[in-house]
Amino acid sequence: MMRRLALVVLAVALSACGKKEDAPATPSAPAAAKTTLRVLATSDLKDVEPLAAQIEAATGVAVQFRFGGTMESTQEVLGGTPNADVAWFANAKYLLSDAAGQGRVKMQEKIMLSPIAVGVSESDAARFGWNKPDAKLTWADITKAAKRGELRYALSNPATSNQGFMALLGVVAAAGGKGEALTAADVDRQAIADFLTGYKIVGDNSTYLAEQFTKLQGTRANAFINYESWLLTLNASGKLREKLHLIYPFEGVSTADYPFMLLNEAKRADYLKVVEYLKGDTAQLWLARQTLRRPMKAELAAQVADLLPARGFQVELPFSPDRQLADGLIDAYLNEFRKPIASTFVLDTSGSMQGQRREQLVEAIHYLAGADVSLTGRVAKLTNREKLWFLPFSDRPQEPVLFEIPTGTAVRKGVAPQADTDAKKAELQRVRDAADGLRMAGGTALYDSVLAALNHMLEQRKLKPDYQYSVIAFTDGKNTVGRNLDAFKQAYEQMPEDVRGIPVFMVLYGDAAEADLKQLVAITGGRVFDARKTPLYAVFKDIRAYQ
Amino acid sequence: MNNPKRIAGTLVVLAVFGSALFWALRSNQQTQAIEHEQAVVAQTAPLKGLIAVDVEPFFKDERVAKLLAAQRLPVQAVRVGSRDMAGKLDEAPDFFLASGVVAANMILDAARKANKQATQSSPFHTPLVVASWEPVAKILVANQIAKPIAPKVYGLDMEKLTEAMLAKKRWRDLKDSGDYAVSRSVLVSTTDIRRSNSAAMYLALTSQALNGEVVSDRARGNELALKLAELFKRQGFQENYVNGAFDDYLSIGMGNTPLAFIYESQMLAQAQKNGGGGLRPEMVLMYPQPTIVNKLVIVAMNERGRKLAELLATNKELQAIALEQGFRTGDPAAFAATAKQAGLAVDTQLRQVVDPPGFDLMFDMIDTVSREMNQ
Repeated sequence: MMRRLALVVLAVALSACGKKEDAPATPSAPAAAKTTLRVLATSDLKDVEPLAAQIEAATGVAVQFRFGGTMESTQEVLGGTPNADVAWFANAKYLLSDAAGQGRVKMQEKIMLSPIAVGVSESDAARFGWNKPDAKLTWADITKAAKRGELRYALSNPATSNQGFMALLGVVAAAGGKGEALTAADVDRQAIADFLTGYKIVGDNSTYLAEQFTKLQGTRANAFINYESWLLTLNASGKLREKLHLIYPFEGVSTADYPFMLLNEAKRADYLKVVEYLKGDTAQLWLARQTLRRPMKAELAAQVADLLPARGFQVELPFSPDRQLADGLIDAYLNEFRKPIASTFVLDTSGSMQGQRREQLVEAIHYLAGADVSLTGRVAKLTNREKLWFLPFSDRPQEPVLFEIPTGTAVRKGVAPQADTDAKKAELQRVRDAADGLRMAGGTALYDSVLAALNHMLEQRKLKPDYQYSVIAFTDGKNTVGRNLDAFKQAYEQMPEDVRGIPVFMVLYGDAAEADLKQLVAITGGRVFDARKTPLYAVFKDIRAYQ
Repeated sequence: MNNPKRIAGTLVVLAVFGSALFWALRSNQQTQAIEHEQAVVAQTAPLKGLIAVDVEPFFKDERVAKLLAAQRLPVQAVRVGSRDMAGKLDEAPDFFLASGVVAANMILDAARKANKQATQSSPFHTPLVVASWEPVAKILVANQIAKPIAPKVYGLDMEKLTEAMLAKKRWRDLKDSGDYAVSRSVLVSTTDIRRSNSAAMYLALTSQALNGEVVSDRARGNELALKLAELFKRQGFQENYVNGAFDDYLSIGMGNTPLAFIYESQMLAQAQKNGGGGLRPEMVLMYPQPTIVNKLVIVAMNERGRKLAELLATNKELQAIALEQGFRTGDPAAFAATAKQAGLAVDTQLRQVVDPPGFDLMFDMIDTVSREMNQ
C-alpha cells in the first residue's frame, strides 16, 4: 500500500516534471526541503548523469554524482569515506566478497544489467567466421585469436576496472576448465600471456577508450571489450568506421548488475526514494533507451526488445570470492604479464618550480617509487620490467636518465602477490634520489622538450618494440623558450607515422595554459590531467592506469 | 470561651477541614482519571516486536498497521536477524517473530534460562523450494534427479541431487543435457550461510539427504558439514541478503542461476505483483523430497504478545495480506486459490516434510561450514 501510494505520488511528480521540460525557463522543483544525496559512481556510469534532473524532479532529492575507477572507488568505500552517501558500481562483487566491504554497505539494490561482450569489427568477424549463429566462442577461442594476431582489442585496465578484470578472469576460467569458482592455484599463466598479446589500446575509462578506439579502429585495433551498453551505443553513434559484431563469450558472460549501495545510514530515507524511482518503469525505460542497459524486470525488457534483443542461454562466469586470486591476478598482470611500460617523464625544472611546487613534484615521484600497498597504490607503483627516463628541462631539454625496474622471481604455477626483490628496492631508491636531486632554475622550453621525449621514445621503440611507450609531461607555466605550438605541430607532422602510437599525458599544474596543453594532446593523442585542484601524486596515480 | 466564639472556632476548623477534604478528594479524583488514562494508553501503546526480515513487508503494510491499531495492538517492529534474537531478551520486547523453528526454539531456551514466560505459535509458514527453468528441470528428470508432479511443478530427489553435486558433475555430464550441455558444475545457488536462514535450511536438507534421516548426532553433523561445505564454497560469490539469489534468478536468468534455493513465498509474492512480477513462462518450482517448511514463529513474552499471536492466527484480513505476500496460512484452500489466481503452479499438499536438526546442532554445523568458507 505504502509502495502504491508512493508510486502515485511519483507519477504525479513525474507528469509535473514532463511539463516542466517543455518550458525549461521555469525554475525547477521548489527549493524548500531539498536534500542532496552524494553518489560515488564508477566512471562507466557517466552516461547516467543526465538522469539526475529527473530524479530530483520526481523525488525532491538532488543527486550529486562523482565518478572514479572501480578499484579507486572500492578503496574509498572500504576506508569508510565521509564524502559519499551512496556508492553505485557496475559490479560490487569484489567489494562485497569480504566482511569489511559488507560492513560498509547498509543496503543494496540492483538497478539494471549489462553483460560484458567482445565487439569485433563486422568485416573481421565475418572473415574469421565469428558471426555465425552457432559459433559458440569461448574465452579460450578469444585467447587463441589474440595470440594469432586476429584479435587486437581495446580494454580498460584490468588492474583498475571491472571490465578489464572480468575479461582476465574469463580467460583464466576458460583455460582452467573448471565448472565453478577458481582459486589462485588454478590460474593458467600461459593463457594470460596469450590473451594480452592482443591488448593494443590501454586506458582507464570507457569515454577515453571509445575515443581512442574510434580513431584507431582498423589500424591498431579491430575489437573493443566492454559492457554491451557501451558497444551498442558506439554502434548507434555512427562514429565508427564500421559497426561491431558483439560476441558474448560462451559459458563466460559476466553481467554488471549496477548495485546502488547505501553507505550513510542517515540518508536512508532519501536513498529509498531514489531507489524506488530508479526501479520504477519511467527510469528503467529511460536507462534502457538512453544508455542501452537492460531493465531488471522481464516485463519491461519485453518493451525494449527492439533495442536490446533477448539473450537466451548465456551461462555466466562464476565470480570467485577468493581474494588471493583477485589480488594475485592483478599483481601478476602488472608485474609479469602486461606489456611493460616504457615512458619518459618530461619534468619542468624552471625557476617558478622553486619551493612548494618542487616539493609536491618530489613527493609525487616518491609515491610512484614507494611502497604503498593499498589497492590503488599497487597500481601507481613502478612495476617490474618497467623503464623510465627522467627528462628534466628548463631553457632546453636535458639528456634523458634511465631507470629500469628488474624482473621479479619466476613463478611456475598459479598467481600470488610478490614482495619486492632487493634489486627492485635499490632501483626504486635511485628514482627517489634522482627526484631529490632536481634543481629548479631558468625558463620553460616545453614544446622542444616534449618533442625531444617523443624522438627518444621512437628511437627506443625501434630497439625494443615490446614495451608500451608513452610520454608524461609536467609543467607549471607557459612555454617561454624555443618552439611555439605551431612550430611543434609542424615538427610533429614531419615525424614517422607510427609516432601516433605514443600518447602524451600532460599534467596541468600551477600557471600552465590549459588551452595550449589541450591543443598539444589533440595533436599527439593522449590526455590532459588537471593537478591544479587534485594533489599531484593522485594525478600521477590516475595517469598510470592509462599507460 | 463563649459560645459564639466556640461556634466560630468550630466553623473555622470545619472550613479548614472541609476545604482540605474537598481538595484531597478532588486531587484523588484527578489522580484516578490520570491513572485510568495511563492504563488505556498502556493498552494501546505499541507492542515492541523484534521481527525477521521475511515479515518486515507484512508489518510495513498500511492495512496491517490500521487493523492492529483498531484492535489496540499497534506494533513497532524492529528488524533483527533471527539467530540474534535469543540474545535480545534484555530489550524486553512484547514479542519476537522469528524465521524458522530453529531460531524460535533458541529464544524459548534463552527465556527459560532467564525465568521468563514465553509461548510460541506459528501463524504463517512457507516451504523451501528450488526455483528453476523448464529446460533445466527436464534434464534433471531425464537423469532421475527430479520427477514431474504437475505442470510446472517438480519433485526433487535431494539424495540424488546432493550425490551428483558432490561428485562434481557438470551439466554436460548429465544425460540429455541438450542446450545446457555446458561445463558449469551442477550446483544450487543459495544466499550466504553466514548470514541467512534459507542457506542454513539448505544445509539441513542436504545433510539429511546424505544421512538418510535428520541428523541428531554432533559428531556426525560435523562430519557432514565438512563434506557439504564445498556446495557453498564452490558457488563462488554469494549475495549476502535474503533476496540475492532470487534477484539474479529473476533478472539475469537461467545462464546465471539454473537452480535457486528460495522460500516459496518469494516466488508467490513476486507472481502477485503487477503484471505477473516479470515471471517468465519457462520458470518452474521444484519441491525437494523431503523439504523443510519454514515456519514464521511468534514468541509472545506477555499477555499482549499472546493476543497478537491469536489475532495473526485467526483474523481473516490479516491472513489475506499474508497470502498476498506469498505465505501459507492455516487455510490450505485459501492458499491454493491465491496461487491459482496469481497463475503460479505450486504443490499444495506437501507430501514429505522434515524438521531441521535441533538448534545447537544446527549452529555447530553452520559454524563448521562458515569456518571452511573463511579459509
